[in-house]
Amino acid sequence: MGPELKEQLVTDHAELYDTATARRYFAKFDRITGHLAQVAGEIENENRLSRTEARILGRYLAGLTASFRALSQKYLMSDLSEGAPRLTFDRHESGFPVAQELMAMAVDAAQTDKHLQGMASEAELKDRMVRQIVRDLTPPTQLQFALSQRLYYEALAMGGLFLTRNDPDVQWIEDVQRDGATRRHFLIHWAVFDTQTNLPVVYLLDVEDSGKKPLPKDDRRWPLVSQGIMAQSVSGLKLLTIATGFDKDFAALHPKRLRRITLGPMHSQDFTLQSGPISEVLKAANAPDSEDWALVWTVEDLVSDREKEVKSGWFSTANRQIWKLNALDGADTGATRTEQMVILPEKVFQAMVEVKAPGLAKIRKFVVGEGGRILPAI
Amino acid sequence: MADFDTQIQESQKQVAEAQVKISAITSRIEAARAKLAIGESAVDIENATLEDVKVHTDLMNANIAELIMGLDDVTAGFSAEFAEMRSKTGWETFVGVFSTTRSESLRQERMRTASVDDKLQDLIGKSDVIVRLLQGQLDLLNVQKSKVEVNLGDTLTEREGAVSALEAGRAEITAMDPKIIELETKISVEQDAVARTKLESDLAAMNAKYNALIQDEQVQLAKSQTLERYIEKGKTWVDSLTNQAATQLVLINKLQTDTKQRVVLYDALSSSLKTARQQDVAHRINEIGVKTDQEAQVAMAAIGTATNDKMADMLESHEANMVYARKVLEDKAKADERFARRFAAIVEKHDKNAYGE
Repeated sequence: MGPELKEQLVTDHAELYDTATARRYFAKFDRITGHLAQVAGEIENENRLSRTEARILGRYLAGLTASFRALSQKYLMSDLSEGAPRLTFDRHESGFPVAQELMAMAVDAAQTDKHLQGMASEAELKDRMVRQIVRDLTPPTQLQFALSQRLYYEALAMGGLFLTRNDPDVQWIEDVQRDGATRRHFLIHWAVFDTQTNLPVVYLLDVEDSGKKPLPKDDRRWPLVSQGIMAQSVSGLKLLTIATGFDKDFAALHPKRLRRITLGPMHSQDFTLQSGPISEVLKAANAPDSEDWALVWTVEDLVSDREKEVKSGWFSTANRQIWKLNALDGADTGATRTEQMVILPEKVFQAMVEVKAPGLAKIRKFVVGEGGRILPAI
Repeated sequence: MADFDTQIQESQKQVAEAQVKISAITSRIEAARAKLAIGESAVDIENATLEDVKVHTDLMNANIAELIMGLDDVTAGFSAEFAEMRSKTGWETFVGVFSTTRSESLRQERMRTASVDDKLQDLIGKSDVIVRLLQGQLDLLNVQKSKVEVNLGDTLTEREGAVSALEAGRAEITAMDPKIIELETKISVEQDAVARTKLESDLAAMNAKYNALIQDEQVQLAKSQTLERYIEKGKTWVDSLTNQAATQLVLINKLQTDTKQRVVLYDALSSSLKTARQQDVAHRINEIGVKTDQEAQVAMAAIGTATNDKMADMLESHEANMVYARKVLEDKAKADERFARRFAAIVEKHDKNAYGE
């Protein structure tokens, strides 16, 4: 563990040095997160997400938008004021801010009251700006910086943010009959900003609960479940690993389906470095700033095939899931199916069709047409 | 972490003290300026006061530097966590005597709940506290600096005025010399008493004017010298403030770079340990069912190598991007170098008594 490793781990992190670039970066994301919600709606229409699931996903997407807005306030004055912070983002296979940005935001969010109390109000700051402009004939950069920080903390105070850890929540779906016993079907959902890939990831877990007390009200099990699944939300782990572990750790809970939705990476000719066909496509498209992007969205899905009774000790038995794995690559992906989608503006889509990269053929495409309408491509 | 908190409080106290002292000097400089404006010539900023502030801020910065080095000790908690993830606990070893499978399954369970998230958050929070401390100091220094600079600008203009007045007076005096000599010559050759008296009173008037001019010159000279002394003191102070601000920037830079890299490193290590330990086992367990007994043992033997491979893979994939890394690395090298230059003594001290020697 010499210093070399430490340095190599941050080689794909880049800082946005000047304000104009930072603002362009955030404007891009503001557009993209807006389209994400539309795509979620589109998938719901195809009946591949239930209404509840779409609503949950929508909430995480809204959180993501809120977090980006807050960050954009924080970095509004990147190079104009001395000591102003700069945004660090991962420009390889992510395009999102590095996880540390969100961790730092969580630290800030915990102390918003303290900061806001000590700050001058927006009206006061603006008043002082006008006075400085009129009296001293100088641009009030320090005051502008102060205002941007105030707006940042106000955005944090409003809440509803997507953080590095968004702890799990449970939703009751229905009661089901299995082997003559009633089980409660719950949907557990949570999200993390993955620290290894620097991407937001949403998890949806369908479980059947055969415990005496319903899971959300069970003070013995719920904290353990909650802590356990958060600790296992690592992108390096296959769904199969997470699900098997969960099955083993909680006897009365029977996981039936686990989905992991990875939002990203975001590719852009201007901001990120990409290898593979997408790089050619973006180059060929040579789109203007507002249309120079493509966002990949991956859904991994692991479904239980059947349940089996096994010995779990000398005198006890437990029900364990046998998972359905994709016959072709299930052993590698650890999932029943993996689907990739990409959201991209018209111009980039055109280029993609022209370039005809074989690697991109299988990916489902959603095209942002005129007026921001989403068109699923065939 | 009581130790860190006490250290932080100590540093906060010192920063507050330093800020009082720094502000005091600036206001003294301003007071002196006000006195100059009403014609008093006392400039009571002693070198000793400046020295005192310098000593104090040096002490303060040394303390903060130590605080930054001290974060290393805070992070020692991580290595304990990693060591735990790598090895078996006492209980697991004990159970292992009776059943290797049971022991391994206990360990897997522990691995599934292990998480360094809280510790990472803690590290970021603590480093943030120090950065804010430094940033506050930097802001104060900049404000003070600009105040004194404005002040100095005005004084420079005033001194230019004083100097040109002095020169004008001197020119007038020089111009008077030949006239006086001429009058004196005339008096020495004048025979007529009336005319001589007239000439003598002319000379007296001229001498009086001459003396007045000389006196004026002295006053202007004194004023110019006072202003000059004031400017010199002010400049020293601005230099000192600039220097201090540079030190703050170096500290901030070093701390931010370090924290960034640490968080990434710890996180990578923890996830790679987690991934390598669990993945293989889980795969063999499925379908072959829960008959892990033999399978798990085989898998576990392979995992030691898996961890290494994973690390190697990670390194290779990053190597491809090394070209883009130059900037980051350069920045880091610069930050380190600047830090080392300024804090060589503390680093040495820290290295010597690191880990409780």
